[in-house]
Amino acid sequence: MSRHGLILGVLALGSAAPLAAQGVLIAPHAVYIDHARRSGTVTLYNPNPDPAEITISTAFGYPVTDSLGHFALRAVDRPDSTLPSAAAWVQAFPRRLTIAPLERQTVRLLATPPAGLPDGEYWARLIVSARGGKLPLGGAADTAAVRVQLNLVVNTNIGLAYRKGPVATGVALSQLRARRVGDSVEVWSRLERRETAAYVGTVRAALVDSTGKVRSTLNAPIAVYFVMAPRYALSVARLAPGPYWVRYELVTEREDLDPAVVLQAAAVRDSVQVRLP
Amino acid sequence: MRASLTILSLAFGAALPLAAQQTSVVGVRPLAFGGLFPGIPRAVLRTDPANSAQFDLKGHPNGSASLTFLLPAVMTGPAGATLPLVFGGNDGGFSASQSIASQVGFDPRTPYLATFASNRASVFLGGTANPSVSQRAGTYTGTVTLTVVFF
Repeated sequence: MSRHGLILGVLALGSAAPLAAQGVLIAPHAVYIDHARRSGTVTLYNPNPDPAEITISTAFGYPVTDSLGHFALRAVDRPDSTLPSAAAWVQAFPRRLTIAPLERQTVRLLATPPAGLPDGEYWARLIVSARGGKLPLGGAADTAAVRVQLNLVVNTNIGLAYRKGPVATGVALSQLRARRVGDSVEVWSRLERRETAAYVGTVRAALVDSTGKVRSTLNAPIAVYFVMAPRYALSVARLAPGPYWVRYELVTEREDLDPAVVLQAAAVRDSVQVRLP
Repeated sequence: MRASLTILSLAFGAALPLAAQQTSVVGVRPLAFGGLFPGIPRAVLRTDPANSAQFDLKGHPNGSASLTFLLPAVMTGPAGATLPLVFGGNDGGFSASQSIASQVGFDPRTPYLATFASNRASVFLGGTANPSVSQRAGTYTGTVTLTVVFF
């Protein structure tokens, strides 16, 4: 092929049909299954104008924090008996499906726990993988053309909990500290789960000046499965120099979850002083 | 699309959990390299409104999500021919306001922790295609995978 032909051919890349959007809406974004029913559901909705090919799988993992206080998922491929994994015995039906444009589909999650499973809370991650339908490429008769097609695959990873028998939760708050970094006050703490279930709640932080006036606030959802040391930032831009207090509390309130699945526990609080230069 | 999402949420309000209890990751636009010339790299900036890839996220305010891209080094074409792709350390962008003009750049080759300011955000992706001077004619395909972990 001549260089001219090659250029024309490669230019044809620009005429390749754009791919349709991929991905689905998932509700709820955290799944809770109790031992009495041993099943749950998630609803998937395809907002796109093309069919979505969906694959659903489970895995084991739980949120942790890294050395910077950032959240991360610790995935464990082969959880041993010390880890409360439900990944091996919760299955989605169907596991593969195609959702038509603007349609929704309910996926049932069935649990088949091993006999003699002790009371407690068991965890898994539900992974919903969405792939859009492949579109035909234009200009098929032009054998000199060079075309590209970059497919998009979207994986959404959400939490799943299976509860057997009475479960309770709580959290211990320690090592609260704060320091100014740039136009923020960074707040660190150590959070350790108590009782038998993950602590799911909200972190509330407030920066209070010497007159008691709240100058900056933060509310963030949190789930403590074992131990975490999260870092949060409170904005202190344009605040006057001087001493301030950081008030910090964890409460079992979550507006993004069904209240029926949020285990209640007493709020925990602490405060620490920080000086703005 | 946002309008249709809202309409559908309302239409199925009785069947779907509250909007605050939903989450989604939707690929809005694929990464498109447009016209290429042999031997001449074609870079698409993450701020390119027509050609950068865009993913819209729905989470909950102040919540966090981990974004991990699986990026192809090459696209595969006829008879095993390849067309190289390069993703640089600033080719990923996160916008808590869903504005392409207001992004925080990140390295899409490593996981990125995003924090929602409201319940919606967008992720953008740019990259560079490097066709060789003797790029073989045909169809080249590759897959970009985005995994979003909601905490």
